[in-house]
Amino acid sequence: MAAKSYDNPELNKKLADTRYHNSQSNPEFTKDVLKTSRTIANMCYQCGTCTGSCPSAPRSTYRIRLFMRRNVLGLENEALMDPDLWLCTTCYSCTDRCPRDIAPTDVIMAMRNLAFKKDIVPRNFLQTVQLIYNSGHGVPNNDVNRAARKRLGLTADPPTTHMYPEYIKGIQKILDHYGLKENADRILKGD
Amino acid sequence: MHEYALFLGCIAPNRYPGCEASAIKTSEKVGIKLLPLEGASCCPAPGAFGSIDMTVWYAMAARNLVLAEQMKKDIALVCNGCYKSIWEVNHILKHDEELRNKVNEVLKEIDMEYKGTIDVFHLAELYYDPKICGIQKIRDSVTTPMTGTKVACHYGCHLMKPQKDRHFGDTENPMWFEELVAAVGAEPVQYRNKMQCCGAGGGVRGYDIVHALDITNEKLINISEVGADAITELCPFCQLQFDRGQIEIKEKFGDVYNIPVLHFNELLGLAQGMSPQDLALDLHAIDCAPFLEKVL
Repeated sequence: MAAKSYDNPELNKKLADTRYHNSQSNPEFTKDVLKTSRTIANMCYQCGTCTGSCPSAPRSTYRIRLFMRRNVLGLENEALMDPDLWLCTTCYSCTDRCPRDIAPTDVIMAMRNLAFKKDIVPRNFLQTVQLIYNSGHGVPNNDVNRAARKRLGLTADPPTTHMYPEYIKGIQKILDHYGLKENADRILKGD
Repeated sequence: MHEYALFLGCIAPNRYPGCEASAIKTSEKVGIKLLPLEGASCCPAPGAFGSIDMTVWYAMAARNLVLAEQMKKDIALVCNGCYKSIWEVNHILKHDEELRNKVNEVLKEIDMEYKGTIDVFHLAELYYDPKICGIQKIRDSVTTPMTGTKVACHYGCHLMKPQKDRHFGDTENPMWFEELVAAVGAEPVQYRNKMQCCGAGGGVRGYDIVHALDITNEKLINISEVGADAITELCPFCQLQFDRGQIEIKEKFGDVYNIPVLHFNELLGLAQGMSPQDLALDLHAIDCAPFLEKVL
């Protein structure tokens, strides 16, 4: 994002403050985050209530306020390449306390979605997709649990896609529509 | 009898089946009938799945909603994570026509259409709601009161937060869960930072287990400080994090708590006379015996 240009070179120099305009900025990123997050992320005034409310902050370098600023400045690479992006437990404490009525949690979710589009995503997220594609469940049944279920008078498999596998086809169609399983397989293979 | 389609999710039926069994049995005693929602899938997990692609998350949750719409029943569920996916997607799709049309384009491929004709509830809110059940009915259903036990309530995150659009009110220091716990005869105890997250959500348990356990450990310190005999929660994923997490915390940090962890359905089941065998409490990683000895 370039600063507005004036005829006065001295003024131009003063206005080209790199803290606000640098070569890394991508204004499209801010727009993409706004669209995916469905929250007014650009209204953040950096008070830090979010970081103060965050259970992940005291035990890591993850700072939600920093991600909020990166969004406003369009610092796409800096935000998406940061491994701390994946330390949000999505507890929504920051969202409930934000004095600007922004949902910082949803900003993080949007950034994760945008990172995935660039193949940046931890393995466990992709494995969940594979499990759901194959069984309908992110946490599928197992033999120990089947035996326990029978002891309780429940069916060995719950009345979900486990008991009615004919429904899995519909789930696979939805996931295939978006190419999600294909992408998950491809990224996991490339590791 | 109020009838609901029971949306099971993953962890309740596939890891803590006592949670499913007790949901069905305890609700019947207070005038709620839970019917199986055939062919339901993972909600899908709001953190682990939603982090990858929200668009697909909407469509997948909508498929589960359509199954209940076809039954013409409102959904009841027992997991905060499921609540986040199923309730929230239902809420968003009801209010956003553009998104609803997009989702329906995809659902058309599998001969389904989301219409927005049902509502979604957590079973605990139905228990609390005097129009459906209410505290007095819960109290009347108790045959084995949990007298003499101190129980710490963990609300979890995704049932009440974000507060906006939801109808649970205050998320800083709510007390309605404590009222439910008091109704089964236990003494609900207050502890520091009650509303803190269990640490498992958002895919963090899978991404960085030590980080997740460190958050859990902080909660366990606060809970053990007030001498709680058990933790009760409304979410099987929080349950897994507190229950198996205590074993993992012992291995990784050397801290030992041995505090039994019970879903509120399981606690209510015990209070209504279900045996530990009826609840498959042997599947819990932390032995529930010290708690059971106090009440049975």
